[in-house]
Amino acid sequence: MRYLWFLLLLLPLALSPFPYYLTLLNFFALSAMVVLSLYVLTGLAGMTSFAQAAFMGMGAYATALLTIKAGLSPWLGLGAGLLFALLLALLLGALTVRLKGHFLPLSTIAWQVALYILAGNLVGLTGGHTGLTDLPPIHFFGISLDTGFRYAFLTLFLLVLLVLALYNLRQSRIGRALLALRGDALAAASFGVDPAVLRLKAFLLSGVIAGLAGFLYAHFLRFVNPTPFSLEASIKYLVMAVAGGVGSIPGVMLGAAFFTGLEDWLKDLLPLLLGRQGNYETIGYGLILALILILAPKGLWPLVERYLPSRDLGVPKAEPLSLKSPDGPRGEVVLEVQGLQKSFGGLLAVAGVSFDLRRGEILALIGPNGAGKSTTFNLVAGALLPDRGQVRLFGKEITGLPPYRIHALGLGRTFQHPHLFLELTVLENAALGTYSRTRAGFLQALLGLSRREEERALATAYRALKRVGLESLALEKAERLSVGQQRLLEIARLLASGAEVLLLDEPAAGLRAQEKREFASLLRSLAREGYTVLIVDHDMDLIMGLADRVVVMNYGEKIAEGAPKEVQRNPLVRAAYLGEEEVA
Amino acid sequence: MKRWLVALLVLGLSAMAQEALKVGVVVSATGPAASLGIPEQNTFLMLQEMLDRTGGVAGRKVQFVILDDASDTTQAVRNTRRLVEEGVVAVIGTTTTPASLGMIPVVAEAKVPMISLAASKDIIYPVDAQRHWVFKTPQTEELMARAIVADMVARGVKTVAYIGFNDAYGEGWARFFEAEAKAKGLQVVVSERYARTDTSVTGQVLRIIARRPDAVLVGASGTPAVLPQRTLKERAYAGLIYQTHGVANPDFLRVGGKDVEGTLLPAGPILVAEQLPSAYPTKRVALDYIQRYEAKYGIGSYSTFGAHAWDAWLILKPALERALKRVDSAKDLAAFRATLRDEIEATRNLVATHGVFTFSKEDHLGLRFEDAAVMVRVENGRWKLERTFR
Amino acid sequence: MDATILSFLLLDGLQNGVVYGLLALSLVLVFAVTRVILVPIGELLMFAPLSLVWLLEGKLPGTLWLALVLGGAWALMARGRGALLPLVGGVGLFLLFLLAKEVPPLAYLAAVLLVVYLGVATYRVFFQPMRGATVLSLLIMAVGLHVAYQGLGLVFFGPEQFRPAPLLSGEVVVGLSWQGVLVLLFAALSLMALYLFFRFSLFGKALLAAAENRLGARLLGIRPEEAGMVAFGIASLLAAFSGLLLAPLINAAYFMGFMLGLKGFVAAILGGLASYPVAFLGALLVGFFESFTSFYASAYKEALVFLLLVPALFYQSLRARTVEE
Repeated sequence: MRYLWFLLLLLPLALSPFPYYLTLLNFFALSAMVVLSLYVLTGLAGMTSFAQAAFMGMGAYATALLTIKAGLSPWLGLGAGLLFALLLALLLGALTVRLKGHFLPLSTIAWQVALYILAGNLVGLTGGHTGLTDLPPIHFFGISLDTGFRYAFLTLFLLVLLVLALYNLRQSRIGRALLALRGDALAAASFGVDPAVLRLKAFLLSGVIAGLAGFLYAHFLRFVNPTPFSLEASIKYLVMAVAGGVGSIPGVMLGAAFFTGLEDWLKDLLPLLLGRQGNYETIGYGLILALILILAPKGLWPLVERYLPSRDLGVPKAEPLSLKSPDGPRGEVVLEVQGLQKSFGGLLAVAGVSFDLRRGEILALIGPNGAGKSTTFNLVAGALLPDRGQVRLFGKEITGLPPYRIHALGLGRTFQHPHLFLELTVLENAALGTYSRTRAGFLQALLGLSRREEERALATAYRALKRVGLESLALEKAERLSVGQQRLLEIARLLASGAEVLLLDEPAAGLRAQEKREFASLLRSLAREGYTVLIVDHDMDLIMGLADRVVVMNYGEKIAEGAPKEVQRNPLVRAAYLGEEEVA
Repeated sequence: MKRWLVALLVLGLSAMAQEALKVGVVVSATGPAASLGIPEQNTFLMLQEMLDRTGGVAGRKVQFVILDDASDTTQAVRNTRRLVEEGVVAVIGTTTTPASLGMIPVVAEAKVPMISLAASKDIIYPVDAQRHWVFKTPQTEELMARAIVADMVARGVKTVAYIGFNDAYGEGWARFFEAEAKAKGLQVVVSERYARTDTSVTGQVLRIIARRPDAVLVGASGTPAVLPQRTLKERAYAGLIYQTHGVANPDFLRVGGKDVEGTLLPAGPILVAEQLPSAYPTKRVALDYIQRYEAKYGIGSYSTFGAHAWDAWLILKPALERALKRVDSAKDLAAFRATLRDEIEATRNLVATHGVFTFSKEDHLGLRFEDAAVMVRVENGRWKLERTFR
Repeated sequence: MDATILSFLLLDGLQNGVVYGLLALSLVLVFAVTRVILVPIGELLMFAPLSLVWLLEGKLPGTLWLALVLGGAWALMARGRGALLPLVGGVGLFLLFLLAKEVPPLAYLAAVLLVVYLGVATYRVFFQPMRGATVLSLLIMAVGLHVAYQGLGLVFFGPEQFRPAPLLSGEVVVGLSWQGVLVLLFAALSLMALYLFFRFSLFGKALLAAAENRLGARLLGIRPEEAGMVAFGIASLLAAFSGLLLAPLINAAYFMGFMLGLKGFVAAILGGLASYPVAFLGALLVGFFESFTSFYASAYKEALVFLLLVPALFYQSLRARTVEE
């Protein structure tokens, strides 16, 4: 199905009587590559870059310098171009991908402007604003690619390969992790994703793709100067991507095709409409863009996609991954919390809490509002750094480790509000759990070498969905689930991740009575299988019926610990809860 | 849909003008170079009207297909390819140097003659396999720098400062002016840059004044060239101030007002056409252009940039006539284009508004310094001929 | 470098800096209330003096028709009683323009009101229908409008610069013109006015609340679209005055606005797009930095000014460290 993209290669043949359309086709292919680099960056990784043209410039200038000044082959220029784009991306990425929110796109503006000025003023090296002329054409097995017709085969071929590679990426664990990262970095990290590293890699990939487009641009025009690599150019590509629909591959391609054609279309149409020669193209361009954004804020593609038949992927049938099943002597201590302390600006939220969690038990952490339960939970899960105290998992110290490291050791968590990725399917959501149990990197994912592992990962996720009873919904988008089903999906994701210690943050909030009973029985059966559960909740009915032991906190301190019945009789606990009931 | 529209358009136009000769034009009617590109565009619109009235060239209608490149290389290349495919016999344009350079491989590949309207010598020199197809009408920076330096030397200037646009225009001037100045024994004490959109050049001007140069050259075009000059005046700079021919339009005088009094600049002789001695070869042609342009666009509206476009047509027209005699453009477009190129190269002693063109195999600029440059001074808000080099 | 040069550079930096500062404040305000990064603010700024020049020459500027067309669209979209404001405003604006031809004081007023009307109409017609869109989509919309307005500016006013006569001519001391003093005074006044507005007026407080929390603002009885209109109105007002006061110093042209806006934007980022005082100080820093780099390395000035952003972004990003939940 996806190989239909190769049909694009027929376009040069169809258009061969119209050389100008071959030119447009080449420009479309070049723009499409740049917007695909934006798809990786914005569509998948949720970052925005105003510097894609600068990466193109790296590719273009590298090959121009090598071929003109050193007389080397353009293919060496390609290597150098990709290398330089990669190095630039590495430098900028290392400095900027850790920036949060809108600081990252803004910093890319800075790089873009600075690099443009450099290209224009290092006259001796880059030919300055005037540029470098007389680049040689690319030769391919003795054929000189010096016409638009021949060149179109090269650009389109590379474009199709790129599209297929990016589909592979999107369908892989990396693609899922990037999407998760975009939606919710903390949730992604809780499944073993190292946000900074993954973002940096996406940035590098995106830079290299733009560098490739720059290389092709240089040998197509056989002339380079700074203006095609300016901030305005970068903005133009971003416009294409967003107006087409930056969230999908066909979307950005549609944007590239639409805006490449639009400029020429306006050149034909406006004189006809206005009856005179004028400078109205940019005005028309801006207004059409505004119209698209008002009518389709998510871009053009979602409008088109609605009318296309959706593809049924089918249920995975491969052998699931071999996860370590939760075994070990019941009652052994799996998680040890000692003297945890955390204050927020002078306010002591957690004051020296200690407790143990034993295999196969369900331990509930309860207390009135503001007692410090959630903070304790986040300290254990690695989302917050403790000021003092220790956490040990299976005897190993995990205090202060980032969530993605803790997860790898067998601890998984859920969130107060389900952190699911609504645009992904239920199956993909669950498969996110397998991230740290699979290995394929960017390169393998791009080349499609991770398919087998991927199938097994999906099978694992499917098995987990079966375990919680969601298998019939596996191929639905997660946004269609009820709250109760979302809670179950979070559990399934934990099971697919191979975690043995499950930390659940108010898992019963928003559930109806029947759903609560089912949920409780699921947890009990999991505990019987050897999973260990730490649960934070206010829901006394649920806790008292479910938990084996209870730890009660108030004002950041542990005030009681024991079986539910004992704890209920504890005067301190009664006082704490009575106090709250009075308020309520 | 789109191709259908184009087809319709082409069909309609060709029905109107049977076998019109198409001449492609690329100008920068928008973007940073719009101040130069718009008068060029206006000139072609005016020419189109004239040719429609008078019936074209050698009995053939002529149609200018004018496309805007927004001062951008990529657009210029796209436009050129489009024009080539639409079957133009020649391409005129574009306004800026980098975009013109970008167009060269395209016209060379398609074997279409091109007459650039941009400044740099790089466009036509050296005449190699690609530049075989390329000519240009505006004076090079090199030629104009020669005029400025000659004038400076004559006035006893020893040290000079340069401040120019941080783009291809300012860079080209920096390169050729500094080379020419050194060759003639002037010392360039400081070379500064500013952007067309800058709102202040105080820093650059202070640096220039600190070096106390005898003269300052501003390498900028259009009204943004006023800012450095005004700042120099405000800082009480007392030396000579030179501008380039890029400011030779009425808006420069309007915005500059009394701040630009006394400015010296090199220009094509057309800028001061009516003040030229009557023996000056280009005087009559220049006055003719000015009269036509002002009749259409208003008194005082003409600039020297539009005249470069006019000159391109003055060169192209007789070449077309000669080529039409030799080859039928409808039968063999490729042969016609090649013949047209040869005929352009064969142009001898063609009197135009900016000078007298004589092309040869080695010289695709074709201008002689003596006819193509004069020095002009701003006096009482008007251009005043200072000297010729004849 | 001697003391004179230093003082000239400082004065130059101050004058540029306060203008960036006013733009930065406008950008921060608009962003905080509507999540829109108002890229076309530079065009709005330039439309004021260019329209003024046209009026003083006895011509109606194209911007008037643009404003009336957008006002018409606004009235159509608002319908009912909401359409009253754009209709009355549009008619009033048109009459004012007819009266203001070649009458300087009226022409100044007309130019300011035009830009404010245009700014508010821009919000109503283009941004309000996009409520709830991502910041990126809003930004792209702003870019589209910048492109369209710049193109219109070229059609309306041509490619060259214009220089309206200064309100006050001459220099106070060498290096500082009276017009420059006016710019500084206006900046100081606007700062004070904004402070008083946000600090003491109910509406100002509600606007700040709207920036913090939409729901809270609704509870205070301010509708988000009203807050958006006021934010755009204030931003356009500041831009229009800045443009009118600056034009005699810097020359106005359709292409001059974008860079001014971008520098204001740099300053706004230095303030984290959130803090008004820091944004203003950031703007002064940008002004001074620009002044000094144009003295020391004019060819690389822009590069250096934008690279100034990078450490600032780092600092801001570190400060903004929160649990990403």
